[in-house]
Amino acid sequence: MKRSYVPVALLLAVLMLNIIFTQYMVHQYFYQNYMNTIIAAVLNVILFPIAFLIYKKGVNVND
Amino acid sequence: MSDKNNKIPFNENNYTHNINRNNERKLDRRGFMKTLVGAAGVFAVSSLPWGAIAAKELSGLSDKKYPKKKIADLKSVAVGDAVDFHFPGEHDSAILIRLSEKKFVAYQNACTHLRCPVFWEKDKGEMICPCHHGKFDVETGAPTAGPPRRPLPEIHVKVENGAVYAVGVKRYEA
Repeated sequence: MKRSYVPVALLLAVLMLNIIFTQYMVHQYFYQNYMNTIIAAVLNVILFPIAFLIYKKGVNVND
Repeated sequence: MSDKNNKIPFNENNYTHNINRNNERKLDRRGFMKTLVGAAGVFAVSSLPWGAIAAKELSGLSDKKYPKKKIADLKSVAVGDAVDFHFPGEHDSAILIRLSEKKFVAYQNACTHLRCPVFWEKDKGEMICPCHHGKFDVETGAPTAGPPRRPLPEIHVKVENGAVYAVGVKRYEA
């Protein structure tokens, strides 16, 4: 059983993007740029299925 | 993982210290990935209300209605001049600027930084808050320099029968 840590790294990248988008979203809301707020929120939501797919792939192949 | 917490402290019949705690709290690769996916889910769910509130603001559901109010006669405002007035309440100071023959803009003139009054600099063509040198774009009210980061609330104006009227506020915060 050879483990791959690529999915782990990808998930960490997703988490980093989550943090970035969240902070961007909150700031853009405060600056009243509501379109940017919505875009950041949508990106944040899209990241969840991506993370889930990465997890599925990583678990099936390597364990 | 050390066996520090898994020792029988003294000799006895071992009826009470027989729980095997080895690897009880071990976080393996799979568990770590599950945690990360869970975190992504929390982020996704928590960004939903922000998107919803932003969409509500964009759709204009929270716009308020105010009775229209006369600001000034057309003749009394030359092109490039500004007039101070109050709208919608008598304590909400605002400024009307005539940019061209037909184009008027009006804003609530409390600076979005610390609410100092914002003035129209005719020769520089920009709106300046003298307190901390915040500057605003005269066409849109958007901040262009200095501490303010939010635009000035715009007042909708209408020209009727040789006079300028304020008819609404784009966004108003008390």
